[in-house]
Amino acid sequence: MLALLDAWLLAPFDYGFMRRALVAGLALSLAAPPLGVFLMLRGMSLIGDAMAHAILPGVALGFLLAGFSLPAMSLGGVLSGLLVAMLAGGVSQMTGHREDSAMASFFLISLAAGVMLVSLGGSSVDLTHVLFGSVLAVDSTALLLIAAISSVIVVTLATIFRALVVESLDPLFLRGQGVHASLVHGIFLGLLVLNLTAGFQTLGTLMAVGLMMLPATTARFWSQRLEGLIGIGIGIGMAANVCGLLLSYHLSIPSGPAIILFAGVGYLASALFGRHHSLTARLRRRAAPLGAPEPH
Amino acid sequence: MATPTEGPRLQLDDLQLAQGNRTVLQHVDGAFRDGAITALVGANGTGKSTLIQGIMGLLKPVAGRVRCRVSKERRAWLPQQLALDLTFPMSVEELVMTGSWPSHGALKGYCAAHYRRGREVMARLGISHLAHRPLGELSGGQRQRALIGRTLMQEAELLLLDEPFANVDAETVDVLTTVLRDMADSGATLIVVLHDTEQLARLADEVVVLSHGHAHWTSTEAVLKGHGPASPVAPMSLGLSGVSAC
Repeated sequence: MLALLDAWLLAPFDYGFMRRALVAGLALSLAAPPLGVFLMLRGMSLIGDAMAHAILPGVALGFLLAGFSLPAMSLGGVLSGLLVAMLAGGVSQMTGHREDSAMASFFLISLAAGVMLVSLGGSSVDLTHVLFGSVLAVDSTALLLIAAISSVIVVTLATIFRALVVESLDPLFLRGQGVHASLVHGIFLGLLVLNLTAGFQTLGTLMAVGLMMLPATTARFWSQRLEGLIGIGIGIGMAANVCGLLLSYHLSIPSGPAIILFAGVGYLASALFGRHHSLTARLRRRAAPLGAPEPH
Repeated sequence: MATPTEGPRLQLDDLQLAQGNRTVLQHVDGAFRDGAITALVGANGTGKSTLIQGIMGLLKPVAGRVRCRVSKERRAWLPQQLALDLTFPMSVEELVMTGSWPSHGALKGYCAAHYRRGREVMARLGISHLAHRPLGELSGGQRQRALIGRTLMQEAELLLLDEPFANVDAETVDVLTTVLRDMADSGATLIVVLHDTEQLARLADEVVVLSHGHAHWTSTEAVLKGHGPASPVAPMSLGLSGVSAC
């Protein structure tokens, strides 16, 4: 039994590429779900998807200029993501249109430009790599970059945490205190771009957002507190990474989709059996009688 | 916004405010009394919210200036309830505690003294039993009490309230009236947008009437009797409603 467990759970990590993939996935799982929780609570769940497309032209340009160089592609991704976020914000302020409509327009332009750029300079294999990543091809440089970006995100998020909470709940209160809500919002979007850039190497530009949103939306079925949502989201992200990698190793299936699908299974199971708002929670819901003590 | 060292906490000097290209208020001159409750009255569209935005520094004056001696941390603005995102997972206690955030800093956690003060504030407002309840599950009155609790935590010296009694129950009106009066008695400057003559009679020490782009300082009695300082004004023309004018 122990030998079987060892062969299933531990032996795969004897390989360096599996260990690097695991550490990269765990680092991303620390940074991505908290961002996803705030996106979800601010009603911006699809903005993550839009931003994922926004980094594509920069990644493609980096690839065209320097080949498969992660630093060059990451730098391109960050610049292009920030540019699109600023352009969308600028157009929205200038025209009075909602930011999501400007963002939707720009992400479609970005997607088309990115695919065009990759096609100009590479093959369909390259395009697949950029769009869907390759977690098992993470080398030491990529790992360092992912770990550094994740650390920056966690530290920055901790620094602006209260401002972000107040801005999400009651932006006017924050503005009244002389803090520009747009500054907090801008930093938050910047972190989003950084995280997606870190994630594209392992999961690809399109699926990196999965590690951000699925743990967050799944956590909603298990906690009604912000700290709970973040903690559970991180746990789900990490579990999906470990399980997805193991499944990918044993069944010889692509690792990125395996990780995201695992998180997806967690979401569906939680929607059925979660503690709050799930199907079973609705079925067993009973109102407490009048005068009963408040649940803490 | 200038911060003089003496005189009343809040003074407006020949203030002109605009929304876009449209001037909403002009030549607004006057001081708000410290330790008193000033009601801001006027029909819809006369510039009550614009004036509040100007005082809070959210709207840059076209001309003139707002002189305010109160630091940003001690200014509180309670807009109408709908500005709050009720789906955000936050309990009453957590909302009340955010009041200490502006002066407390961004990184430090709350200590026992903060929580003790938070519990005192909730007890004063009669919402201790709701401490752990999510904001989305509160009634309008309970939510308004929690929001006032946040300003109490903030130890606000300047408090601006936009229709604080809209859609709240009579008991909450009583509790909030007492708390707001206590705040004024302890020296805070309160400015309250009101639409109800009964509440005006009960709460206001003085009144600022907004009409035709101008502001007039007057007494509560004069407004209730329908006599403004510049022109006779009937309560209904100020957007005031209510069964009696005392």
